[in-house]
Amino acid sequence: MTDLAMHMMDIVQNAIRAGAETIGITFIERSKKNTLLFRVTDDGSGMNEESLEQLDDPFFTTRTTRRIGLGVPFLKMTCEQTGGSLKVLSAEGRGTTIEAVYRTDHPDCLPLGDIAGYLTLLLKANPAICFRFVYQLDASEFTLDSDVLKAEGIELQQAAMLSLVKQYIREHLHALHKDRSTESYLC
Amino acid sequence: MNQMTGIRTLADLKKKQEEVSARMNLRDKAENPASLVQVKVAMATCGIASGAKEVMEYLVEELDKRGIAAVVTQTGCMGYCFAEPTVEITLPEREPVVFGYVNTAKADEIIECYIKDGELVDGIIPQNYDTI
Repeated sequence: MTDLAMHMMDIVQNAIRAGAETIGITFIERSKKNTLLFRVTDDGSGMNEESLEQLDDPFFTTRTTRRIGLGVPFLKMTCEQTGGSLKVLSAEGRGTTIEAVYRTDHPDCLPLGDIAGYLTLLLKANPAICFRFVYQLDASEFTLDSDVLKAEGIELQQAAMLSLVKQYIREHLHALHKDRSTESYLC
Repeated sequence: MNQMTGIRTLADLKKKQEEVSARMNLRDKAENPASLVQVKVAMATCGIASGAKEVMEYLVEELDKRGIAAVVTQTGCMGYCFAEPTVEITLPEREPVVFGYVNTAKADEIIECYIKDGELVDGIIPQNYDTI
């Protein structure tokens, strides 16, 4: 994984496989604390304590097609390499919240990558799931709710709309990131 | 990458949507779902790390540009991590076929040869052998 957008796609994929109907994706940048919080919340099947304990073991997976699962171990690795940490809360039948904190003043902090591109693909490929995306930088915020897009009649199944929605997200994130502190390695 | 396109609000998006929908209506919309080509791009850790996103974006855009009625969606890992990015194509009334090592050039070949003409191309991953 070379950027955070890839992690986002990967972790959200876990939520989709857990049968989630609503998935929250949150990024919170705090300039004073030099941190970036990346959080995915879902209302899927959740995990029991046994699975939760083995979650960061690369040789644990619920799949039968292969015997390794690297998604969460990679996330843990990339946040810890910046001095951050990974936290997972889960309750069987209620869903899972996974939170990775990155130190943005650490040179090993991953770049954000194409968040807009991955997010639009997620929205397009999973029309039945409600996505709530929030990006906060200190006091500024950009939110995107798939239900709101639907209510406005935005049809992501049309390829032409897909690239327009991507531009819309990209422009908003770009505008937000202009206010980022110069100490941050995040880009 | 960061060029400003003037799409700043939901109202801007909605206006664009009306333009796009108007164009869509000119095309034959009454297609029956069984006649659609189904495309699934594997998008798990292995796929993402190998560039599945570029392949999926390419397929969405090119199938639309070339006027092929298709549903492009994502799936998890199919167990062919060694051959990522992998793409599963189901032509109407045909068995699904999985292609491995797909980049945008390969995706172009798959659209032109397999999706348009039904001709098999290199890189198929054999699966689900039926035994007698």
